[in-house]
Amino acid sequence: MTTTLTESRARKAIRPSGAPKGRRPKKLGRYLAMSPGLLFLAAISIYPTLYSLVVSFMRWNLSSGEAARFVGLDNFVGLLTDGLFWNSVRVTLVFVFFSVLIELVLTFGLALLFFRGFPGDKLLRALIMMPMLCAPVVVGLLARFSLEPTYGIVNQLMRSIGLPTTEFLGNVDLALPTLIAIDVWQWSPFLFLILLAAMQGIPEEVIEASKIDGASWPRIIWHQFLPLLRYPILVGVLLRLIDSFRVYDIVYMTTRGGPVDATSTMSWQIYNVGFRAFNISYAAAFSWLLLLLVLLAVNSLIRRMVARS
Amino acid sequence: MSVAKGRSINWNVGVRAVVAVICTFLFIAPVLWMVTTAFKTGNQAFSGEIQWFFTPTLENFAEVLGGTRLTYALINSLQVSVISSIVAILLASGIAYPLARYEFRGRDHIAGTILSLRIVPPIVTIIPLFLLMRTIGLNGSLLSIIILHVFMNLPLAVWLLRGFYEDVPKEIEEAGAIDGLGSIGIFFRMVLPLAMPGVASTALLCFVFSWNEFLFASVLSNAGSQTVTVALTQYVTPVGTEWTLIMAAGTVVAVPVWLAALAAQKYLVRGLSLGAVK
Repeated sequence: MTTTLTESRARKAIRPSGAPKGRRPKKLGRYLAMSPGLLFLAAISIYPTLYSLVVSFMRWNLSSGEAARFVGLDNFVGLLTDGLFWNSVRVTLVFVFFSVLIELVLTFGLALLFFRGFPGDKLLRALIMMPMLCAPVVVGLLARFSLEPTYGIVNQLMRSIGLPTTEFLGNVDLALPTLIAIDVWQWSPFLFLILLAAMQGIPEEVIEASKIDGASWPRIIWHQFLPLLRYPILVGVLLRLIDSFRVYDIVYMTTRGGPVDATSTMSWQIYNVGFRAFNISYAAAFSWLLLLLVLLAVNSLIRRMVARS
Repeated sequence: MSVAKGRSINWNVGVRAVVAVICTFLFIAPVLWMVTTAFKTGNQAFSGEIQWFFTPTLENFAEVLGGTRLTYALINSLQVSVISSIVAILLASGIAYPLARYEFRGRDHIAGTILSLRIVPPIVTIIPLFLLMRTIGLNGSLLSIIILHVFMNLPLAVWLLRGFYEDVPKEIEEAGAIDGLGSIGIFFRMVLPLAMPGVASTALLCFVFSWNEFLFASVLSNAGSQTVTVALTQYVTPVGTEWTLIMAAGTVVAVPVWLAALAAQKYLVRGLSLGAVK
């Protein structure tokens, strides 16, 4: 008993930092280091989120002098019977589904094209990133200019191969597909980079072994690549889903939700309701439904991602 | 990366290269067209034919940068992006380093919660924060935009930095402890310098996202605090042949991002995938 005590005392004297007493300040230190960031995140997310939830149960228009008052579920009931709300849900889901699907298929092929390498592949890979690095606002301006009927590069090229001049952004049927095409053009490079890096990370032995077994390339891709690429594909698709649900900038710069609400995404519609009509409570309720929709769409994916890391 | 020597592979190289060049061209043609148009006179741009070769002029850039609105916006954006990136890196390091180094209760929970903030669409965040900024009178200030950009970039920065700090060998810290350095000394004098390439790339990515951000900046800014993306909206309804000016403005806004991406190239994929692909 006494000997152990003295021993431990002696140890303390020799290695003060390793002693049990030294541990507490260390633990405290890590929480001290984390606290500014965590408090900041909490302040900017928890309080406003709750506030937004409260506002969504009120009637509050910033342009009218009327004081805000509680109206219960009025906003939500209103939304569920609002044609413009359902229209924006449909537009958003179509936009998200087709842009992410097309991007995935397209970039998988593109990555297969690149992953074995050829002279100059690094340069091409760097160039392909350019659309993704432009601000969506810049891409919006560029899209307007490119698709302009008379001088736009797209219509000039179409005319040169005998196709008729087309108003892509002004046509009710073409506006949404055009927005999807713009998104595919801008964000395919993002998925491409992720898939390519992941493919290049596949051990050479895996491919060699399959080839020795006599497997053809399509078989190797299907049976070896897809299982190995599941996690990168999961992350890439998750990030693209999250980002395409928030599509707003491109709509603002090109169609402004038109023609006849054909491209009125949820984010765009919420902006209109909240910051143009100043019906801030209706917009708050609307935004909660958007959040629920996004959570529903990505919930299982994000769980898998967190579990994996 | 060893390139396989199978005959079928070699046969394919030429074909793949040609297809890849065509695909690449489809991606960069509009960007090239933007940049070339920015260097054209109105007559050259609107001749009805696509001209890839012409005598370049700088007058569009002179006019765009001489017009004070975009110039002020560039200064505003520079302040917002640089300050918000630095603050994001500092706050994120405080969280990421303990997450990377220590086992403690709730560690994965904290990391997961922070990541889940990335899911929330910005239009959801901006409504209450607009009301909050209005109440405390920060509405229309650069500070309000900086705060939101820090918020926007923090989850990304935490996840990336966590990975970069994990990459620093643990022995380094033990060596530092033997030299008598405290935790703070170990972090700033040993870990940070070693993780610097990753940290700098993370900062550059934050810069890019802040520079390109539009919704927060458009809701919170007033005439004096417009960022570049907000200033570009003045060109949304072009008059006549203003397109050469517009493309010059677009190029001016895009160039800093291209430079930042070039500098961060090594860690770009890792950064964009939140560290999932290395």
